[in-house]
Amino acid sequence: KLSIKELEKKYGTNIITGLSSTQAAELLAHNGPNALTPPKETPEIIKFLKQMVGGFSLLLWIGAVLCCIAYGIQYSMNTSASLDNVYLGCVLALVVILTGIFAYYQEAKSTNIMATFNKMIPQQALVIRDSEKKKIPAEQLVVGDIVEIRGGDRIPADVRLLSVQGCKVDNSSLTGESEPQPRSSEFTHDSPLETKNIGFYSTTCLEGTATGMVINTGDRTIIGQIASLASGVGNEKTPIAIEIQHFVHIVAGVAVSIGILFFIIAVSLKYEVLDSIIFLIGIIVANVPEGLLATVTVTLSLTAKRMAKKNCLVKNLEAVETLGSTSIICSDKTGTLTQNRMTVAHLWFDNQIFIADTSEDHSIFDQSSGTWASLSKIITLCNRAEFRPGQESVPIMKRVVVGDASETALLKFSEVILGDVMEIRKRNHKVAEIPFNSTNKFQLSIHKTDDPNDKRFLMVMKGAPERILEKCSTIMVNGQEQPLDKNTAEAFHTAYMELGGLGERVLGFCHLYLPADKFPETYTFDVDTMNFPTSNLCFVGLLSMIDPPRSTVPDAVTKCRSAGIKVIMVTGDHPITAKAIAKSVGIISANSETVEDIAKRLHIAVEQVNKDAKAAVVTGMELKDMSPEQLDELLTNYSEIVFARTSPQQKLIIVEGCQRQNAVVAVTGDGVNDSPALKKADIGIAMGIAGSDAAKNAADMILLDDNFASIVTGVEEGRLIFDNLKKTIAYTLTKNIAELCPFLIYIIAGLPLPIGTITILFIDLGTDIVPSIALAYEKAESDIMNRKPRHKKKDRLVNHQLAIYSYLHIGLMQAVGAFVVYFTVYAQEGFKPSFLINIRVEWENSNVNDLEDSYGQQWTEYQRKYLEWTGYTAFFVGIMVQQIADLIIRKTRRNSIFQQGLFRSPLPIGRDLALSLDAFRLIVLPSASRPQYWFVAVPFAILIWVYDEVRKLFIRLYPGSWWDKNMYY
Amino acid sequence: MAALQEKKSCSQRMEEFQRYCWNPDTGQMLGRTLSRWVWISLYYVGFYVVMTGIFALCIYTLMCTLDPYTPDYQDQLKSPGVTLRPDVYGEKGLDISYNVSDNRTWVDLVHTLHNFLAGYSPASQEDSINCTSEKYFFQESFQAPNHTKFSCKFTADMLQNCSGLMDPNFGFAEGKPCFIIKMNRIVNFLPSNSTAPRVDCAVPSLPQDPHKDARPLQVQYYPPNGTFSLHYFPYYGKKAQPHYSNPLVAAKLLNIPRNTEVLVVCKILAEHVTFDNPHDPYEGKVEFKLNIQQ
Repeated sequence: KLSIKELEKKYGTNIITGLSSTQAAELLAHNGPNALTPPKETPEIIKFLKQMVGGFSLLLWIGAVLCCIAYGIQYSMNTSASLDNVYLGCVLALVVILTGIFAYYQEAKSTNIMATFNKMIPQQALVIRDSEKKKIPAEQLVVGDIVEIRGGDRIPADVRLLSVQGCKVDNSSLTGESEPQPRSSEFTHDSPLETKNIGFYSTTCLEGTATGMVINTGDRTIIGQIASLASGVGNEKTPIAIEIQHFVHIVAGVAVSIGILFFIIAVSLKYEVLDSIIFLIGIIVANVPEGLLATVTVTLSLTAKRMAKKNCLVKNLEAVETLGSTSIICSDKTGTLTQNRMTVAHLWFDNQIFIADTSEDHSIFDQSSGTWASLSKIITLCNRAEFRPGQESVPIMKRVVVGDASETALLKFSEVILGDVMEIRKRNHKVAEIPFNSTNKFQLSIHKTDDPNDKRFLMVMKGAPERILEKCSTIMVNGQEQPLDKNTAEAFHTAYMELGGLGERVLGFCHLYLPADKFPETYTFDVDTMNFPTSNLCFVGLLSMIDPPRSTVPDAVTKCRSAGIKVIMVTGDHPITAKAIAKSVGIISANSETVEDIAKRLHIAVEQVNKDAKAAVVTGMELKDMSPEQLDELLTNYSEIVFARTSPQQKLIIVEGCQRQNAVVAVTGDGVNDSPALKKADIGIAMGIAGSDAAKNAADMILLDDNFASIVTGVEEGRLIFDNLKKTIAYTLTKNIAELCPFLIYIIAGLPLPIGTITILFIDLGTDIVPSIALAYEKAESDIMNRKPRHKKKDRLVNHQLAIYSYLHIGLMQAVGAFVVYFTVYAQEGFKPSFLINIRVEWENSNVNDLEDSYGQQWTEYQRKYLEWTGYTAFFVGIMVQQIADLIIRKTRRNSIFQQGLFRSPLPIGRDLALSLDAFRLIVLPSASRPQYWFVAVPFAILIWVYDEVRKLFIRLYPGSWWDKNMYY
Repeated sequence: MAALQEKKSCSQRMEEFQRYCWNPDTGQMLGRTLSRWVWISLYYVGFYVVMTGIFALCIYTLMCTLDPYTPDYQDQLKSPGVTLRPDVYGEKGLDISYNVSDNRTWVDLVHTLHNFLAGYSPASQEDSINCTSEKYFFQESFQAPNHTKFSCKFTADMLQNCSGLMDPNFGFAEGKPCFIIKMNRIVNFLPSNSTAPRVDCAVPSLPQDPHKDARPLQVQYYPPNGTFSLHYFPYYGKKAQPHYSNPLVAAKLLNIPRNTEVLVVCKILAEHVTFDNPHDPYEGKVEFKLNIQQ
């Protein structure tokens, strides 16, 4: 707004000489370096500690502390108390610490992968200081510095442009607009974002040169302000974290209630109160699934690894599942849905629209027409873009081009169809040229023709179609010039509207052979005075370009839709373009209409249309006027929504609106402008290639190939892991009851202790870990992508059906089976079951060395102890055998195991068997268990399997029935 | 904890909980209607009845497979345990101390022995037969009444001086106490090949001062030589020999030094009895500390 003089005064600088070095140094010291303050790094130690105390670990810590308390009580009563409780406590603590280290290491690893993206060459800026041009690192820029910017540079700070030569900037990282924005030194708008005389930090200057004065640096730049907005947004808890917390509540609830119940029973059975307290603690600790924390962590990181292979890099392990529960994806357009490169899409000549598909080698339009010959000549000649040299071996579509997006598209298009463009240009020597500018809106060049007999000059012109048409008096049809009458003009307009309606950028092309008599070969053209005609030209055709959607996207969007995920497009782009892309990728499906479409079809006013439209296109301006309630209504009523021309703040509002609908929202984005929304979203997905650092920092996940389709695979993995975690937890919880029951029976019936702490630990942390991790490899039962996303509050990871079925059905059967093995061993050694009841006090009394058994034999304390250990082994074996059955039934939740195939993923079974045998060798042999005891529990294993098959059968037969409701987990 | 973070007042929570307990709109109690509760309870009752039935069946089958006379395995009972009477346990194992001049300190010990030997009175042994052979008393068939096997008599008087009949104080009063040593029963166990197992009590020379002139312990054994007669073996189990009583050996320690703690080890010397199990202090031997004050 200020004039140059005022600016000089305000910032104490001089545009010719720039700041002096001393001034600059002072300002630098005062304002700090010109860089965005990176988001506050959480110190490594905090990150590490966080791993140690998250939801699940807390449970284990409490268990460990309780163990120590129990030992303390025991020690105070009897100094020779067994150290079992201490071991248990230590193991619990060790599990938490080891798992914490593992999780920390996993996350550190993915952070490292990220860091490789961040390695960027330090930016340099050309600055005038002390009347000299200097190259200094951009970080050292200060307010008032005069900088020079050239095509290809990143603008080093917020810059007020002083003098400009054909400068265009790419503001997409700031506003999301994909079109290059021309810049000038005139003040055009009050808003700094709209005015043309300001260049923004971190945007790129595409072409031209400019000189400007730095007006803001570092965090005070526009981009810095947005970035700081991101750090103000709190991080949401991941759904899986919430689920695990819920699970911990259930486990803790069950543990404490069983504990207290048996405390009361123990006291009423006239146990000492202190003994009862030890029982209470024992019961609570026995309920803690020691191995589950490790299992869940390993499972998640395995999935993260698998996802990374599919180009989804997960920063936060827990985010693995979040994608699976996603119900709304707010996707960016440019780069994610589209290829982020302009391509010629349609041609119009000879009153016909042709499709140009440059992605294939051959083009399917008619190239024999004379009109095409002329048009192709214009396209080739009236173009300033050039391939960067030395790229002959690179496929045309991938070559680097110097020039703006549409010229690049035209160049590549003609290169594909006509061959060597440079050669054609050489043959048609260019004698004069007027480059495109925003006032005349056309581009013109004059060439000698390559026909040696034709001495005429050829003038070719391209530009905005309506402007071009104005300059024409004839039109070429089938290679013949015809006067431009009303009909042809009509045809032109229809074609123009049609192509424009597809969201494509349309250019018009015309030419004129300058008569040789007026313009002899020696004629000198002067572009400033325009000493040549620019009207009564011959119109040749139209050509439209679009940033085409990625080929995999429509399929991916369909998949999302069948998976019940709503895909919302949020873009800074034009509504028409946005809508066109949305239609072509299926975000707005082929048969749904917006309110405006219906109005147009029925020829009524927009207000009169009933609300039966499924799709809506909402611009930022409209969004600005909406109340939150209106936004909610919009989000619930329309299934297909496109937000166009939105600002970063509005993106945040949209995300919040979605979250109000109880949806789990995924947001994709690449620019700094997206980072607040990325952070606010349940899962932020940043682009690995195009994404800015700020976006990557704010995101939970990074798409390494910037492809929307990768999100879908991510969703699939996320859903699978949710299902499989359910299975894993069910598997783990089941044996928990089988491990707890012995203790309860021991208290009530006074049997010798059926299973010891160390043995339990051996099951939980030894033999059961691998099978439960193997469940994570389980294939999906049905097409998980045809299912609605789970409801955040209703579809829990661990619902009460799962807990009840695991605890009260299968767990109980396991306990019974294991007890049968236990009783068998004792009976065969001389203690019949009836004899064991209430034997506990004598059994454990080390002063009784002639305890009689059912046969009248007498046992010393050590002999009994040894038998007790054999009993542990027996119980262990019982649980192991039935856990194999448990593993088989947990492979599916609904389908029969025959449908799933027992050995389709043979890993778990094989490993379990191998492991069990190892276990047998390791700890069972010393207590001389006999092989036949392995078979005692087999009938129970079969019973478990049959019972579960029956359960699944009824669930399949009677969906929605009482059985289904109570038995399906 | 997540639930706590939701901003709800306590009264709201209570109301919700009440509604959970009894929901008048749907007639639900604790999330289920009454009929649903009946159904689910019936299901669980049925389920648990079946499970109990299966369990009972398993145990019944197990009992059917067991031999009523001999246990299937005797993995832990390779060698019998040995116990001592009177049995007073201290912090670590048997620990007997008394004062000769103060009869209150040993009257309990004597009482224990009397009680123990009550089971060996002629009256309680009258169902057993007198055996004289010094050989194993093998019985293949059930010739005793009620389809049992005979047991040999062991009466307290066989312990002579330590029977409590001649000296009701078992020598405690004069500082030469009697200790009764009993070997645990093991079905079908044969302690040795031909010689009768013998008890041998000694004071082990302490490893720290082996040169100390440990006076050899003078012991008087009853029955003479401290042997368990072979005709008490083998034991055929409770069902076959309901009247069986373990044979005993009494050891009268004659020269226990006063006012010092003495460790006495009584071993059973027989071919099939081992006493070197490091884990089991009562296998084949019994150790006790003795401290006689004066």
